[in-house]
Amino acid sequence: MPKAWVVVYSITDFITVGMLLTVVAMNSLKRMESFIRAYTVNSLLLAALMAVSAFYLDAAHLYIAAAVTLASKGVAIPLLLKKVVRELKITHEVEPNINTPLALVISSVLVVIVYSSLSKGIFIEGFTENTLKVSISIILISLFIMITRKKAVTQVIGLLLMENGLFLAGFSLTYGMSTIIELGVVFDVLMGAIILGVFLSQIKKTFIDLDLDKLTTLKG
Amino acid sequence: METDRPETASSKTTGKISSACYLLYAAGCLIPGLLALRDLLFGYSWHVSLPLSGGLALSFGGGGLSAYFVVILSLLVFCVSIYSAGYARHSSAPWSALILYGIFVSSMYAVFYSANIPAFLIFWETMSLSSYFLVVSDTENIEASRAGLLYGVMTHVGTAFIMAAFMVMFFATGSLEFPIIKAGLAGAGGLRSVIFVLALIGFGTKAGIIPLHTWLPRAHPAAPSNVSALMSGVMIKSGIYGILLVSLDILGGGAGLPAPLWWGVVVLSVGAVSSVKGIMYALMERDMKRLLAYSSVENVGIILLGVGASMIFSFNNLPSLAGLALAAALYHTLNHAVFKGLLFMGAGSAVHATGTKNMEEMGGLIKRMPWTGFFFLVGSVAICALPPFNGFMSEWLTFQSLIMGIKTSVVLTKTFMLLAGAALALTGALAASSFVKAFGISFLGVPRSHEAEAAKEAPATMLLGMGILSAVCLLLGIFPGYMLRLLSGIPLPGLGSLPQFAPGGLAVTGVACSGVLPIVLLGALLAGAAFIFIFPLVAGGRRKSICADPWDCGIRKLTPRMQYTATAFTHPLRRIFKKIYKPRKEVRIEYIVKPFFTREIEYRSEITPLAESYFYRPLVRALHNVAHSAKRLQSGNLQLYLGYILGTLVILLVVWG
Repeated sequence: MPKAWVVVYSITDFITVGMLLTVVAMNSLKRMESFIRAYTVNSLLLAALMAVSAFYLDAAHLYIAAAVTLASKGVAIPLLLKKVVRELKITHEVEPNINTPLALVISSVLVVIVYSSLSKGIFIEGFTENTLKVSISIILISLFIMITRKKAVTQVIGLLLMENGLFLAGFSLTYGMSTIIELGVVFDVLMGAIILGVFLSQIKKTFIDLDLDKLTTLKG
Repeated sequence: METDRPETASSKTTGKISSACYLLYAAGCLIPGLLALRDLLFGYSWHVSLPLSGGLALSFGGGGLSAYFVVILSLLVFCVSIYSAGYARHSSAPWSALILYGIFVSSMYAVFYSANIPAFLIFWETMSLSSYFLVVSDTENIEASRAGLLYGVMTHVGTAFIMAAFMVMFFATGSLEFPIIKAGLAGAGGLRSVIFVLALIGFGTKAGIIPLHTWLPRAHPAAPSNVSALMSGVMIKSGIYGILLVSLDILGGGAGLPAPLWWGVVVLSVGAVSSVKGIMYALMERDMKRLLAYSSVENVGIILLGVGASMIFSFNNLPSLAGLALAAALYHTLNHAVFKGLLFMGAGSAVHATGTKNMEEMGGLIKRMPWTGFFFLVGSVAICALPPFNGFMSEWLTFQSLIMGIKTSVVLTKTFMLLAGAALALTGALAASSFVKAFGISFLGVPRSHEAEAAKEAPATMLLGMGILSAVCLLLGIFPGYMLRLLSGIPLPGLGSLPQFAPGGLAVTGVACSGVLPIVLLGALLAGAAFIFIFPLVAGGRRKSICADPWDCGIRKLTPRMQYTATAFTHPLRRIFKKIYKPRKEVRIEYIVKPFFTREIEYRSEITPLAESYFYRPLVRALHNVAHSAKRLQSGNLQLYLGYILGTLVILLVVWG
């Protein structure tokens, strides 16, 4: 392939690091709207990464995957989340379990752990080792966000972020699975988001609150 | 199940149909029974394999050991099914009981016929599960569901050990078929001992050896009486079958590969402990069916005494004595099935008539239920090993083999046989005392409750079932020679070298010679009885007999409460074996004027079950403690759970990344 690989590497690295930064930044965000916006940016970057790789690799099916990602994760799900937030009148994430500076430190520690301990895997053309490391960091940090936040909506966003990380990891190792599988995964995520939205409103109706601490009362 | 319901027209028809179905079962079980008898007599064996998907197959085979157990099963199922035709007429859920009974019986057949590991395990589980559902079939009884839970747990622990034993076999030989495993394990060395121990624990749980017996005295009484008869009569024998199958047949390599000495010693000791302690607990029971259940533990112990002695003789290269001891064990297996089935059916009739299992509330039943009383007496005499019934013959054989073991020249064998013989003797005496109590307290005397006073004789089908087994008890006791001829066809070590006994009597030759002629014994007994009748007439001439109340020490009227109770009957033995029973006694007295006039005296006495107090309860407590500390991990907080996941991921990443 006569493409300039240096350019490709720098572009993919640029995008993936951007994704990592959005996730890290989410640790410090308190307003619900900016939280969703950060997720949107993350998804858009993912779609962009796929489009770029499709261009450089001349893989038509990746264009489809990129378009679908853009439509679902970049547009549909953020809209859905915004709607839920508006309906349930959630504006602020009330005090997280851990204060912002500490959360940022822990996230960066997670990144360091991933970078220092992940041994060389099998990497394919067009992506660097960096991509895999970033994707695993994204997964761990999203999990960490889910731990530090109390509202059910933020849990959902954390889960969606994790999904982005998983998607990136799978993509970086396999050029994306066959189109039909990717479509299936995307569809699953979309359905999951819808169902979670419905659940959230149900929880709100039943418990008046979306604070997860209240769920401990369900314990036998 | 024991309660009478008002009979409606529809329940009457249901009862009739279910009775007819039970009679069909009785007819159906004759086919495998007669075929197995033929296999046994002419030494046939057969083998079929049903292929399943994935290269798996279910294999079945007949002949030899399995044919013998099928004969036992068929005999008992035949009589119990006839009994059930009457017993189940008032059952509260006739259809489920009928279907479960069918599944239970056919799975037992399949277990005895199984010739490879998958078939054995599948039907073993089917048998356990169907009997579990039969135990808990009395849904209103909370005690039954607790007993069922205990049974379920214990039987699955046992099955786990059996599966482990089979897995070791599979990994050692790479085959699931018993005949191939048998050939492959001959040179396995130490692995054989591992298999033996696992199988002994697994099958021992089903057989009810002490200390794995705890489920037995609870689950057997909780089931309907016809099912208890099958469970105690045959199902626990499937444990004996498993022990014989694995330790003698499969591990014996077919060619009589002798077991290490310690196998025999372990089995002999387990047998001795189970027989003595089983009967000691039976002696203290007031619940009739629990007494019978504990006595099953004892009889399994006696069977294992024979098996263990046979293993020790094989090791010492005494094939004729080994054959004798094994024949005694197999003979006792059949005998116990017959008289324990009979006794459980008799107990079922008594419980059905009085509505209680407590013997202290029965009394005087022999006048109201003469046939049931007579059959129960036959069963009791047989289980006490008195001639001319079958229990005598098999215990006599066991004694003979142990006594001849004492006469051999090997010191170690001598010692073990001496101790085992002493245990068996003590067992015999305590068994006699238990059944004097069981029969005397519940059937003799005057009724101790209104229900006992109003008891009615059981219906004809129930009596027929018991009657056939009573006759079998007598026949097996009079013609032991035929039985041993049947046994000599089983291809197990030593049995081939059994001396050919005369059908009329038994003569045992090994180190010394000893014999018995049951017909002569029977004649002597009858003559003695006749003498007791005739002697007063001859010696004293005709006398006038006067019926009068017994002397009442000046108290104006004797009441049923003044009779000897079951608790009082066993009091001396409770004192003698204080160290083992650890009895707890509690007397509470309320006075009107201290200390002479009392208003109320409450007396409570309990014995401490050793296995439960010193093994199971500490075990359960330890489990509870572990579970309690594990509970702290489960706070119910979602974030904490996510934290566990994150922590695990990071650790995995650091360690294996």
